[in-house]
Amino acid sequence: MKRWMLPLTALAIALLLPLLLDPRGYWIRVLAFTFLFAAMAQAWNIVGGLANQTSLGHAAFFGIGAYTSTVLLLKFGISPWIGMIAAAGLGGVAAFAIAIPTMRLQGHYFALATLAFGEVLRVVANVWTSVTGGASGISVPFSSPSLLTYSFKLLRPHAYVALAALVIVTVIFEIVRRSAMGYRLRAIKENPAAAEVIGIDTAKVKLQAAIVSGMLMAMLGTLYAQVAVFFDPDTVFSAASISIRVALIAILGGIGTPVGPILGAFFIIPLEELMNDWFSASAAGLSQLTFGLILIAVILWRPRGFVTLFKSLSSRFGGASA
Amino acid sequence: MEFVQAVIDGLLIGGVYAVISIGLTLVYGVMGIVNFAQAEFVMIGMFVAWFAWAWLGLDPVLAAPLSFAVAFAIGWVVQGHLIARVLKAPSVAQIFLTVGLLIVFENGALMMFGSQFRSVTTSYQTMSLSLGPLFVSLPYLIAFGMSLACGTALWWFMRSSWFGRAMRATALNPSAAQLMGIDAGLMYRIAFALGVGLTAFGGAIILPYATVSPTAGSDYVVLMFTVVVLGGLGSVAGAVAGGLAVGIVQALSALVFPIQLQNLILFLVFIAVLGIRPQGLVGASR
Repeated sequence: MKRWMLPLTALAIALLLPLLLDPRGYWIRVLAFTFLFAAMAQAWNIVGGLANQTSLGHAAFFGIGAYTSTVLLLKFGISPWIGMIAAAGLGGVAAFAIAIPTMRLQGHYFALATLAFGEVLRVVANVWTSVTGGASGISVPFSSPSLLTYSFKLLRPHAYVALAALVIVTVIFEIVRRSAMGYRLRAIKENPAAAEVIGIDTAKVKLQAAIVSGMLMAMLGTLYAQVAVFFDPDTVFSAASISIRVALIAILGGIGTPVGPILGAFFIIPLEELMNDWFSASAAGLSQLTFGLILIAVILWRPRGFVTLFKSLSSRFGGASA
Repeated sequence: MEFVQAVIDGLLIGGVYAVISIGLTLVYGVMGIVNFAQAEFVMIGMFVAWFAWAWLGLDPVLAAPLSFAVAFAIGWVVQGHLIARVLKAPSVAQIFLTVGLLIVFENGALMMFGSQFRSVTTSYQTMSLSLGPLFVSLPYLIAFGMSLACGTALWWFMRSSWFGRAMRATALNPSAAQLMGIDAGLMYRIAFALGVGLTAFGGAIILPYATVSPTAGSDYVVLMFTVVVLGGLGSVAGAVAGGLAVGIVQALSALVFPIQLQNLILFLVFIAVLGIRPQGLVGASR
């Protein structure tokens, strides 16, 4: 099998999937969110996977993106597409702002600092009522449905936009990974001190990765706002359901690999929906409890993600045929 | 006068923060694991004390040793069966294992106890001592006294007992400790169980002036991390200083800022400290 066959087949299936699902149904929504979360995890993967900095604050950029486009649309009638570009700008600025104090931190320290950063923005969005509408949330105003206004009656076009976003973010991830910047990031990951010695400006490279990741994440926030139509600060700036979940998707799938976030999202998002479906009636908390148990099990069983499962399978079966 | 009053309140509350956070810093200091689920043991300690009060009529402050024991047992099992397996794994695996534990504890409590807020009533709850124009709240004072007793006991344990010294030796150099006949795995188990036990102890002694629900832990996550980072992650003495500092910062910022912004100040202090001195304000630079 040629190397490009697998991604192409996967893309073809992804293109067909929205057509197979009931356009008014529940699963098309799940699919759209799966694509979106895969793209978010891929954006996280640039910082978390390539630069090896476990960010637990990516909800900050996501929330900034959601609010930027929505506020621009609400107050000035600016199209969400232009809002998305503004979102990318602000997301990049925010990424720069948090990268400055945290760039030199590693491992747990970086995770903690970014976690706190996300929480700062959540509190600010809750308090800054004049712009964000505060804790009561904000509604995306209705526009006549068309691609130009990025407003659709059904979820099918939303699913395709999210898929396009996933493809674009994945391509950007691959470009970064294979570029000189990717090699520098890998050198830093393997041995930061040695990377400095051979002349890599580690601070600058990490900063670049953080800004690219933050910009992409903010643009995906705009996507979310257009699909969700209504949201509040505690949703888009959530540490648990955005920051941690996005990192989790990439980690369970396979951190630092382009397929990892996609595998992770297609595992976690439908699983969560199924569990909510099965368990929500029986007991509050049961679905989340199961989710936590699965997470613990997967981390103990495959600390480097599902990707390793495919690798060990292909080395077992592929090795024999070659 | 308002200022002095805030400092007194802050100090008293800060003492409890110190006890809650010592567990976190102890676990990190001995085995290098940052336990994101640590704050859940505040919640567990509070629930144990609440049930001891509701069923046995025990004062939460007296139930604190019971909270310690329950959390110690949970910690013993969790360390031996789960954490021990990621000690050498990359930090992402460690972070997300403890995040998974956090989710399990919070939702397990939700399933068992429901989402309502519970509180206790005690005879001394609303009492306070007056020192001229100043007031010292009695529940704060009692919690502070218990924190002090608990901190002293831990200090003695770490300094003078064989286990304490063995634990410190393991923290410094696990393989050398192993050569001296110390079972490092056992030391890790004791450290983890002791750490979460202390946090649960702190949860029990604040129950007279706090409410408990399954999400009670999330109120303390950032607070605990701020305390230990201020004092230097891994330093027990630092956690005490950090706890008092955070208590005072919180009480003073309540004078100036509206209540919603109180946590914001804490977060900003936290990021600033990490950015400027990640080894902690009082910790020695390495």
